[in-house]
Amino acid sequence: MIRKFILKRLAIGALQMLGLTLAVFFLVRMLPADPVSRLVGLNASPEAYAQAQRSLGLDKPVVTQLLEYLGLGSGPGLLQGNLGTSWLTNASVVSEIGASLPTTLELLTYSFVVTLLIAIPVGVASASNPGKFVDKAVFVYGLFGGSQPEFWWGLLFVLIFFAQLNVAPAPLGMIDPLLIPPPRVTGFYTLDAVIAGDFRALIDIFHHLMLPILTMVFVLSGPVIKMARQSMIRAQASDFILYANAAGLRQSQVTRYSMRAAIAPTITLVGILYGVMLGGAVLVESVYSLGGIGQYAVRSVLAFDYPSIQGIVLVITAISLLIYLALDILYAVIDPRVVYS
Amino acid sequence: MHACSNLPVFLRQSAKRSVLAALAASTLLAPVSSANAQAPGTLVFLAEDVPSGLDIDGPSIAIPTTQLGMMQLLEPLVAYEYKSAPNEDGIIMPDFTKPTGRLLESWDYDPATYKWTLHVRKNVKSCAGNTLTADDLMYTYERALNVGGAVPNAWFLMNMSGVKGFTQDVFSTDKAVAEKAKKGLGQGIRKIDDYTVEVSQETPNPLLLVNMAVTISQGVFDSKEMKAHATAADPWSYDYANNTNLPSFGPYCLDNWVKNSEIRFKANPNYYRGKAPIETAIIRKVPQGGNRISILRSGQAQLIQGMTPNQYDSLRKMPGVKVSGVTGNEGLFVVMNFNTAPFDNIKLRQAIGYAMPYQRIIDVGYSGQAKQWESVVASTYPSFVKYAPPYGYDPQKAKALLAEAGFPDGKGLEKYADKFKLTYVAEKETTLGPIVNQIRTALTAIGIPVTLDPIPQTQYGDRQIVKKDLAFAVNDQEKPIGVDTGYAMQLFFVSKAAGGLNNMMNYANADLDAQWAKARVEPDTAKRDAILADMQKTLMHDLAWLPLVEFKTQWAHSDKLSGLSWNPSNSLLLYDLHY
Repeated sequence: MIRKFILKRLAIGALQMLGLTLAVFFLVRMLPADPVSRLVGLNASPEAYAQAQRSLGLDKPVVTQLLEYLGLGSGPGLLQGNLGTSWLTNASVVSEIGASLPTTLELLTYSFVVTLLIAIPVGVASASNPGKFVDKAVFVYGLFGGSQPEFWWGLLFVLIFFAQLNVAPAPLGMIDPLLIPPPRVTGFYTLDAVIAGDFRALIDIFHHLMLPILTMVFVLSGPVIKMARQSMIRAQASDFILYANAAGLRQSQVTRYSMRAAIAPTITLVGILYGVMLGGAVLVESVYSLGGIGQYAVRSVLAFDYPSIQGIVLVITAISLLIYLALDILYAVIDPRVVYS
Repeated sequence: MHACSNLPVFLRQSAKRSVLAALAASTLLAPVSSANAQAPGTLVFLAEDVPSGLDIDGPSIAIPTTQLGMMQLLEPLVAYEYKSAPNEDGIIMPDFTKPTGRLLESWDYDPATYKWTLHVRKNVKSCAGNTLTADDLMYTYERALNVGGAVPNAWFLMNMSGVKGFTQDVFSTDKAVAEKAKKGLGQGIRKIDDYTVEVSQETPNPLLLVNMAVTISQGVFDSKEMKAHATAADPWSYDYANNTNLPSFGPYCLDNWVKNSEIRFKANPNYYRGKAPIETAIIRKVPQGGNRISILRSGQAQLIQGMTPNQYDSLRKMPGVKVSGVTGNEGLFVVMNFNTAPFDNIKLRQAIGYAMPYQRIIDVGYSGQAKQWESVVASTYPSFVKYAPPYGYDPQKAKALLAEAGFPDGKGLEKYADKFKLTYVAEKETTLGPIVNQIRTALTAIGIPVTLDPIPQTQYGDRQIVKKDLAFAVNDQEKPIGVDTGYAMQLFFVSKAAGGLNNMMNYANADLDAQWAKARVEPDTAKRDAILADMQKTLMHDLAWLPLVEFKTQWAHSDKLSGLSWNPSNSLLLYDLHY
């Protein structure tokens, strides 16, 4: 049953991707500027302009460009797994995304793990002790911490922990510039450091990730705590928990039952936030010079680099769709009431 | 403790785990290496970005941070001797009247045949250990003529220099014509022997020497390395140069390059002028200006760029930090489009020229690190002539000129309200915002209704270069890298029909075009200078563009770092730096 569900979802996902591909292809071409003019900044002769236009393939009709992009023209395209070549760097978009995406995935994954480790216990504790210290602290944090933009917290943390207290490293990316990064195998700095057995680099990478993760956790914890708390309160008010209490089960056991019921909406929220933050972490990446997919996206948009923009949108969408699919499967594992039919 | 004791058992266990996690975190908080200290022989340079490509004909050639990387790897044929004394900030300045050979040991020019004989320097080795010969020059020129890159930058300067064979035919849509033209090097450039190359021009043209000094377009490739990385699909190694390395004979070799993150150079052990004092130079991308300042102050970086004038001003007061600047070739000017009424009215243009609050712009926009610009070319370039009497802030004169233009006290300008939208690059709001507000206030005071129109950089470029429809705009990003007043005027003021390239104001003056046609081929320097002086006078009278200020190009650095030198690309040469 679950296999059929997954196949159905993948098929729908493929259709969504096709629609998105067409929409993005035409929408970027409606932007109010000409990417060729950026290329010929130094040399604006009509011949140079025409040459640059030809080099980008923009001298061809839009339908021909689309067919080329899809891989139905003279060369390989999307259908062959080729996202094209960046107009800014002349490197393949696949390799550029491959270079920047792991940084963002690494940042987000660690941030969400830490967020879950903190936010769920705090949310549960807040729901279990209404009006007590933890609950009030969550309320104050929700008003103050969670309502500020992440770049502001990032700059503040840099100022406090790096510039003033000197306990955090300079916001210089994933690793100290004077250290040699571990050889690139997976593209994930921490994994590559482990594979290389370079634990000095591993510690330095975690040291450099410390503030970015703290910033992300600070911002992400707000909605996650709130969701965990609300779900827990709702679960505690449900009939089966009332029955468990009436049956005299231990408090820890009852809490575990409540948590199982409360965790599913929280996990859903985390999944959605993960998809959103793939592109939305750009400000944190910028503050800490991390060079992730968000920064790559911004650079591509500012340069009107159509192939890169299209590639980024497709990859982020594909990851988001996979996350949502994984969430739906996870939902069934967590909550036995969910049945796929 | 009290709060913790109220928690369920499993949460108390979780709290214990949290303490352990905190201990682990505190381990991470401790600095793990001695990286905070400045490593001897190492430079950490923080910039807004790192090179997006390294090919001189590549798609990112117009980006300053790309040029910064290329300048460290390439070696020009010709450069300029340094002046004996640095400028007021300690920056070493070139003397543009004294070209000196770099990869060329010397050169001869025969005015009768318009032939240049280039004598290639001997015993010059590339990063790969290959010896420079005439073959490397021939490869570089053949590659330029091939125009296979996204932007034919190298071809462009050879074409501007009037070198035989570098014609527009290479762009012909007729494949046969284009292919024939691309094999036309024999007409203009010949290898005489292993260390001699002959270049022929169609007409006398002094720009050849000037353009040979433009490192980022005329730097010489290590042809053996380039050919070693050529493929059947990419015989000129565009992909290799764009994405992997730029093999040349420059002072630094590429050590590591991660696009969007950092580029790392090692001093070229074979460099013919001697190995660079700084062994390892790392240019690291730090997008946030505030972070670049914090890191510089902490001592973990020794050099930063790309700050706003106000930020540089605040850095000037910080201990251990020095700000060095040069009034080189960067200027701020106002574009008034001749194709858009009422800007076709010279009197109105002059009225605006006299209404500009020059000193306020210098003080507010550049924290005093600028001076009024008194011509349409950079004052550091040879043949620059100051306009006399200069335009200055004189509201009464501006009002009188406005009346002469047919708009007393601004009456009649209401119908042009949408033309007086002062356009500027939105991304430069921090610097340009205060300036455009000063301009608006000053023009409103004499009756000219101005509104502000910030637009994205790419849209601005599109309207400036392609559409040429910016009616009223401020611009601070035009700097001719070829050090020649005539070249600068051809670039911006000569009409399109007469070979103008970036005439964003649609200025058309047949007399000026004729003067340039004459100056372009005038071999006598004194006569050429006289024509160029007259052209500058005309352009300032008509205010073809309205020059406002020349502002300093600045860097902030550790006060232990010295040797900063300036060149027209505004990219620091790391070779000159030392502690």
